[in-house]
Amino acid sequence: MRKLTIILTGICLIASVALSPAMAAEVVVGAVTPLTGKLAVYGQGFQQAMLLALDEVNASGGINGNPMKILFEDNTSTSKGSVSAIQKLITINKFPVIFGPAASSNFLAVCPIAQQNKTILIGAESAAAAISKCGSYVFRVFPSDLLQGKGVAELVQYLGYKKLLLTYVNNDWGVGLAEVFKKQFLEDGGQLLDEFSYDEGKTDYRSEILRIKKASPKAVVNLTYIKEGATMLKQAYETRLDVQWIMGSAAKSPKLIELSGEASEGVIGTYPTFSQDTPQYKAYKAAWEKKYPGKKTPIFGEYNYDMVKLTAKALRKTTSMSVDDIRNALINASKGFIGATGDKTFDANGDVGATYGRWTVKGGSIGDYK
Amino acid sequence: MIYYLQLTLNGIIAGSIYALFAVGLTMVYGVFRFINFAHGELIAWGAYLALLFTQTLFTLPIYHAVIPALALTVVIGLAQERYVYRPLRHGNRITLLIASIGLSYLLRNAIRIIWGSDLMTYGLRPMRGISFAGLSITPTQVAMMVAAVFFLACLYFILTRTMLGKSLRAVADNMELAAIMGINMKQVSFTVWVLASVFAGVGGILLALDTNLEPIMGLTNLIKAFAAVLLGGAGNVWGALLGGLCIGISENLGVAFVSPGYKDFISFAIIILVLLFRPKGLFGVLRGIR
Repeated sequence: MRKLTIILTGICLIASVALSPAMAAEVVVGAVTPLTGKLAVYGQGFQQAMLLALDEVNASGGINGNPMKILFEDNTSTSKGSVSAIQKLITINKFPVIFGPAASSNFLAVCPIAQQNKTILIGAESAAAAISKCGSYVFRVFPSDLLQGKGVAELVQYLGYKKLLLTYVNNDWGVGLAEVFKKQFLEDGGQLLDEFSYDEGKTDYRSEILRIKKASPKAVVNLTYIKEGATMLKQAYETRLDVQWIMGSAAKSPKLIELSGEASEGVIGTYPTFSQDTPQYKAYKAAWEKKYPGKKTPIFGEYNYDMVKLTAKALRKTTSMSVDDIRNALINASKGFIGATGDKTFDANGDVGATYGRWTVKGGSIGDYK
Repeated sequence: MIYYLQLTLNGIIAGSIYALFAVGLTMVYGVFRFINFAHGELIAWGAYLALLFTQTLFTLPIYHAVIPALALTVVIGLAQERYVYRPLRHGNRITLLIASIGLSYLLRNAIRIIWGSDLMTYGLRPMRGISFAGLSITPTQVAMMVAAVFFLACLYFILTRTMLGKSLRAVADNMELAAIMGINMKQVSFTVWVLASVFAGVGGILLALDTNLEPIMGLTNLIKAFAAVLLGGAGNVWGALLGGLCIGISENLGVAFVSPGYKDFISFAIIILVLLFRPKGLFGVLRGIR
């Protein structure tokens, strides 16, 4: 009797597993999301924004009549957790599309796995330039850092500096950014008085400052972080180097002002942004407030929202559920797709374009440069 | 010309800080024959304790906060000796080395727990430098040099003019023989740790005044201190002093010729060359005052 029960239960189990997808015909997408750990504060917001977009997709007919679902896997905010989460989603669930984890280091940890297993990986928060080289199955709706090089070149042109000095942090990020900036700047007819990189994380940049002083430029483009930027600003102020400092978004933080005091006054920089006046953004905001009343829209929530919307559009258009068909559909769907965060057309690297805002330090706080 | 003079001046300032760190490191090596990796943490703790006394509970002005901060740094230095190094003193040198690496992690992470990993400052306003003859120097930098000269002069006085200093040098020369001659080992060890802690603490506070505070500030500068110690010959106090200045000046002058991105390369190239050709240090032969 007991044996029979076990066999019967077993049969029922197998049957239910085998039959359930066919009955519901859900379209499921995986997501590696930081639901616990140090990024959990943000992860919850990402999840809520994704669920908001999902509600809208399903309210408007799902994926050609079938409901869309997202299966969230927690990555405990670590690279290790991200790897095991994505391995589960790829090997056990066999999902063709996975939404990647936040933080560039976590994203970079999983992108070779997705590429190797021919699984589409889409990111909504990672900016590292290296992600562009992840492979043909990796996409992101968040602008790459590299674009900032162009953003800074545009800012320089707007400010009217034809001759300036370029300096940057000596790492992948700084060197990559500087290359892009330099190319654009020289194309625009600019001239570099001097160009050098410097070590990250040092406390003494006086000799670097002196080298700047020697070239006596009117403006210095410094592609730097908060700590290095602040130290250089302070030491430049002390050594009476008065130039127009131009920076990227990595230095845009109240911490920069806290660390360097009035030496940071007048710095101008760029940061990736999108217009909040578009109907798309307003619709997102209204929908958010309706679903989560009293809650502020989370950081990068709108990127997550766009990612789900764009994926749904691709899934509706795909000719089959094979990964390569979905990939083609995704690239086609992105063409001219205007989301809450603007145009999401993928380029050859699976990257999107960006528009840049301008920030400046005035009266001890960061504001928009006009 | 002014450019090179200014670079040299910057080098002297950086070098005097390296020297402050290196002197303590080499003194501990001279007497106990092991490299104290946790020396860097005394640098960071000195700086953070000064921050503590300028903040919430005490709100002392920074120049007053220095005194309790240094006192507590000395307490940490002595605690290192009492609870970690003394029980292990008769063990293998490697044991002491490993213990000091462990201690360094412990102390560094304690800073992270208490103050967090974020950058901090004493919140002083940046000051315009003073110019003379085309060279510029800030009041903080003047203070750094004055403090370095003052503390090193004190050290010179203690080592050469006092009985304590003589016994310290005797112990550094031959610990067993010195003990047989009736030199009080406890007193010597106490002095070494107090001096090393004070020098590290002062250096840390000056460095933080000049730049920022962060938990790894000790570690990054410890490497430069190692270089200075090696250059001067391990255990040689005056060698460490000159070694610090040499490293500071050469890496700053080097900026005129190579990209500043490779500034550290200069100091490490010097270390390798010294190790290859003068393994006892540039000043090892002179023997100096140990």
